[in-house]
Amino acid sequence: MKTVPPPCPEPETGPRYWRSLEQLADTPAFQEWLEREFPDGASELTDPVSRRHFVRIMSASFALMGLGLTTGCRRPEERILPFSKQPPGYVHGVPQYFATAMPLRDRAVPLLVKSYDGRPIKLEGNPDHPLNRRAGGPGHGATDALTQASILNLYDPDRAQRFTYKGENVAREKALDALAAAGRAAAAAEGKGLAWLRGRTASPTQLRLEAELRKRFPRARGYVYEAVDFDVHRQAATLLFGQPLAPHYHFENARRILALDCDFLGSEQDAWHWTGGFARGRRLQSPNDPMNRLYAVEAVMSLTGANADHRLRLPAGQVFPLAAALFAEFMDQAGATQNMAGASEFASVLKDRARALPAEARRWAAACLKDLMAHPGETLVVAGHCQPLAVHLLAQALTHHLQGGGRTLSWQPAPEPAEGTLPELARALHAGEVQTLLILGGNPVYDAPADLDWPAAQRRAGTVFRLGYHEDETAALCNWHLPEAHYLESWGDARTLDGTLVPVQPLIEPLFGGLTALEVLARLAGLPVVKPYDLVRETFRELAGEAGWEEKWKRFLHDGYLEGSAPAAVTPTDVAWREAARAVLAHPPPAAPGAQSLEVVFLRDAKLDDGRFNNNGWLQELPDPVTKLTWDNAVLLSPATAKALGVYRVQEGYQGNPKALKTRVPVVRIELDGRRIEAPVWVQPGMADHVAGLVFGYGRLRTGRVGRGAGYNAYVLRTSAAPWVAAGARVTPASRDYELATTQNHWAMMGRPIIREANLAEYTHNPRFARAMDMPEPKSGAAPLYPNPLDELARHAPHQWAMSIDLSACVGCGACIVACQSENNIPIVGKEQVSRNREMHWMRLDRYYLGPEEDPQVVQQPMLCQHCEAAPCENVCPVNATVHDQEGLNLMVYNRCVGTRYCSNNCPYKVRRFNFFDYNRRPLDQLYRSPLTSFHDGEWELKRWFKNRDRGSRAQDEWDLMKLARNPDVTVRMRGVMEKCTFCLQRIAQAKIAQKIKAGASGDIVVKEGAVQTACQQACPAEAIVFGNLKDPDSAVARARAHPRSYVVLDYLAAKPRVTYLARIRNPNPEMPDYHETPLSTRDYLEHGGLLHGVGHGHGPAPEAAAHPAAATKGGQH
Amino acid sequence: MSDIFPKWTNKLPGYVLAAGALMGTAVVAGVWYYFTPKYTRVGYQPVQPVSFSHHIHVEQLGMDCRYCHTGIEKSYHSNIPASSLCMNCHNQVLKDDPRLALVRESAATGQPIPWVWIHKTPDFVFFNHAVHVNRGISCVHCHGQVNLMDEVHHAKPLSMAFCLDCHRQPEAFIRPPEQVFNLNWQPESQTKQLADGARLVREWKVEKLENCSACHR
Repeated sequence: MKTVPPPCPEPETGPRYWRSLEQLADTPAFQEWLEREFPDGASELTDPVSRRHFVRIMSASFALMGLGLTTGCRRPEERILPFSKQPPGYVHGVPQYFATAMPLRDRAVPLLVKSYDGRPIKLEGNPDHPLNRRAGGPGHGATDALTQASILNLYDPDRAQRFTYKGENVAREKALDALAAAGRAAAAAEGKGLAWLRGRTASPTQLRLEAELRKRFPRARGYVYEAVDFDVHRQAATLLFGQPLAPHYHFENARRILALDCDFLGSEQDAWHWTGGFARGRRLQSPNDPMNRLYAVEAVMSLTGANADHRLRLPAGQVFPLAAALFAEFMDQAGATQNMAGASEFASVLKDRARALPAEARRWAAACLKDLMAHPGETLVVAGHCQPLAVHLLAQALTHHLQGGGRTLSWQPAPEPAEGTLPELARALHAGEVQTLLILGGNPVYDAPADLDWPAAQRRAGTVFRLGYHEDETAALCNWHLPEAHYLESWGDARTLDGTLVPVQPLIEPLFGGLTALEVLARLAGLPVVKPYDLVRETFRELAGEAGWEEKWKRFLHDGYLEGSAPAAVTPTDVAWREAARAVLAHPPPAAPGAQSLEVVFLRDAKLDDGRFNNNGWLQELPDPVTKLTWDNAVLLSPATAKALGVYRVQEGYQGNPKALKTRVPVVRIELDGRRIEAPVWVQPGMADHVAGLVFGYGRLRTGRVGRGAGYNAYVLRTSAAPWVAAGARVTPASRDYELATTQNHWAMMGRPIIREANLAEYTHNPRFARAMDMPEPKSGAAPLYPNPLDELARHAPHQWAMSIDLSACVGCGACIVACQSENNIPIVGKEQVSRNREMHWMRLDRYYLGPEEDPQVVQQPMLCQHCEAAPCENVCPVNATVHDQEGLNLMVYNRCVGTRYCSNNCPYKVRRFNFFDYNRRPLDQLYRSPLTSFHDGEWELKRWFKNRDRGSRAQDEWDLMKLARNPDVTVRMRGVMEKCTFCLQRIAQAKIAQKIKAGASGDIVVKEGAVQTACQQACPAEAIVFGNLKDPDSAVARARAHPRSYVVLDYLAAKPRVTYLARIRNPNPEMPDYHETPLSTRDYLEHGGLLHGVGHGHGPAPEAAAHPAAATKGGQH
Repeated sequence: MSDIFPKWTNKLPGYVLAAGALMGTAVVAGVWYYFTPKYTRVGYQPVQPVSFSHHIHVEQLGMDCRYCHTGIEKSYHSNIPASSLCMNCHNQVLKDDPRLALVRESAATGQPIPWVWIHKTPDFVFFNHAVHVNRGISCVHCHGQVNLMDEVHHAKPLSMAFCLDCHRQPEAFIRPPEQVFNLNWQPESQTKQLADGARLVREWKVEKLENCSACHR
């Protein structure tokens, strides 16, 4: 019987969601791409191995198979090696959890780390930490993508593993002796000629040791450098109030947020916490709940801009004029100009600074300010780390004056750092004043400003000691190099953003005998105690007080924080007006960029940070949250700028190599102050014109196997005078192409109401708006022929698992993707394979642009296996490898799978992943090579394979470390097998087993709410994901499914997914110039023939539909 | 033509057929025997580095399984005891016996005793001991009467079919919780087992987990 295809509102004219410019342009190549899940060439043998060669190899392997049979009949004898002395409290096979923290710059993320047989294998946020607690319920341990991926750095085979002197291996003792000798020599000269350089830190022990060092060596000097520095927040607060303070933002209390080039959901420090606060203000339970409103001003499309209700694109240099206009207007309206001496002069100078601002931006700012002022005490204005001090001063002053009470912004004491800056150190080095330089972490040879000529400066030092995690660019110019320990191997301490003291405790002995900064400093100072454990305990004893400190210490390590150690918030009353105004006015009025003189904006990478995560495969392969680029950075240009430069490659985009459908983009040359780089162009919708966005972290000269050859180095153009925004760049096409690997064009789901949105007003009017976009029930012909066996099974099963994702809360950061990768042993596949659509992520984040490419609206949606009750994948599998269990999970049985990929072809959501190669066992640059024919290190791979059949052709060191990182609860999949999201089946099974053990001889086997958390749910900083048992009507997921905003994607296929989404709510301000009465996605849906079923005409978003009668009629035909 | 094909070649087809038939029979018989889920590794009895006798320890001395296999009620694995645990008794009993030399050495030096692994499930099978013993499945069902073995051997096939026998019909195997570690316990009769088992299955809400996710993840 022929299957009747379900009705589907296919658009007849033009796409309605477009995911890239190529798609908007509707190229034939893109059409072809859409029609195939795997692009052309994916299934053919494309490597240079000829057919004849292939036959030869195959016959050899058959011969070997005969050999293998004789030896393989007998199972290998394996040994069990029990302890000789049982460690107390340890049960083999039961994972242990330890509380620790990931220090990053002068902040930390509190963590619970899962350790299995002494190996840390998964990081989770610490739900008990004061920042993670929730009123009236269990806490939620938020993390971000960087934190989740940092565990892979522990198992990085390319990390520094040896002590070296001038590049030669030396014994550890010799290196430590040299360090101690340098300390003694410095002591003799009162520290003259000694300098140390480090990144920012909040470790009380390290600060104590440095103070000790200064006391012992009064003439020595410490310097601090961070390529991406967030200290400007503190500087502004200190200057504004005339006392050492740092701001502490409370996004959860803010109802009106203005982000001045501040990507507080992405590239700002502590985004993991701020995202949660922001999302809590948007997760509406009922239409009458209060909802925050986000205004964003920015040059480059960031995650914050993508989530904003109103977004103004403006060159980064023009943010200061905008802030000035805003503040001057505020002073006028608040009456400050009349009441305060000097205020009117200040306001008039500010107005003068804002003169260059376009009229459109001025209108935008005025309407925005009106809304901000209408919400005193609930307003938060934040400025980004790329913005100058002046903008921060204005932002904090505005918040201070609008809130009165410290609700959205409080201040904490923050001592002024005693260290010098990198330019000062460079000057001292060039002047020959430094004989001994100690570099703790960091990588200044790579990331120092170009004008300092740092490599030459470093060479001027007599002896350079360096404690580094990799043997990188800086290591090459050092005399002594000491390997640094990972934070999961070290004792230490740190402070989280609220100032709470957290421990850094090791879960494993240093794998390669690395040291920590604490130990190095203690040895240099010649202290009697050098073990970091003892040093940290000493500090703790001072901080916690003498009384009962041993008990407190135990509690500290157990809990992962010291209760009450956060400093009390300070509510400053006096604003140091005079100093602040002087600092604001010292900022020169910037010139607006033009076609001949572009503005360059430097960006912290969402994945590699400033380059410190460069050799982390999970992060390299994680698609950038906005551009969806992997393994590379690019120059971001707005469509108009790219067109003006002649590098707007859209039509030709896929014509370079039609067979492989690669994304080839033009390369441009960027010149700034006589320095130049070449980089590929990525046309980014929504960017400000005449701006080039350069991304840090790539283009490393000396890095590991993963990061080698990825991207260009943006630091080459950076100077200490213009560290974030530089004017006067010239961009010219370089007449060559470059291939980028992007996941952007994959799995485009065209022309369906996949993401459903409404404005708050519309939602209040019609709470069930999302269901109105469902297709009406078909009258006949589409009902299933047979009853679904699951319906009967489900009735007897104690659980029915389901997930709900709140699109209003999700900001699209990507923490879930990395958490899933870590939990489920998902391999990375490399740039070449990503460009062939073969990435293995079980979860992806779809990002759609709507509206004009100059200024689109952005929507994001996490997409994973939907665990359909009537799963289309299951009925096409010829070997029953994908089946349902009685609890509603769509299972993938790896042992049955023969790799036909029919299931993937038939999956409407395109969430199934196929192992084209043994990604786990072969090096990523030799995927196409048979492991049996390669010869390296003086041995045929074949021979090695006989010795160890698991390893494949990976290098031994890589293999050994990779094995350590694996989650033992999840099967590592091999080549030729389909895989996909399992709803973290292993966690479900463990929770069920735990409950059954507890039940024992009773019938209490139903898993309690909250006992199962999927990896993505647990990592999500926005708490957007809810997972649980549908059979429990009080469970969070059952309530979410019953919510009026709940809908399923592609409902008309009647696949009955177990994953539902809560429709997204926007909260625009009708008085804004860029107000849209209906979200652009809904408007697009209606314009292209979609209907709102069950909604009377003339209500809600219907006016748009009425405006297009032709479209409405067309929709009626479906 | 006789130069090319001598006379004996006339019989060649017969030989070939006979040899083929023999080979075929041998292959079929071999596969039949070795690949059946009833066989797998039944009877495997490697020589262990220390000749530990479960018979003596359990039957003569009356030790409980859990004295040594401490993690059995909490963990996936049934752990092999540490050498230090053996020394709890053997630092007084048989303290100079040469058969225990390896145990003493291990406890003294920290080197583990390399026991040979007998009961092994494949890596893609996630068998949890704790949930079985806590819910009325005895050691004896999978390991046989270890209490009577001087040298442990592989008593049951541990194949997927073997697991499913019980997962399809738990009432035929489930026993009162107090008899789980009593390897000599027998139900009074098969009918009584089925009746009592059905009651336990009902009262404890024992699931008949036949889906793949029960064991494979």
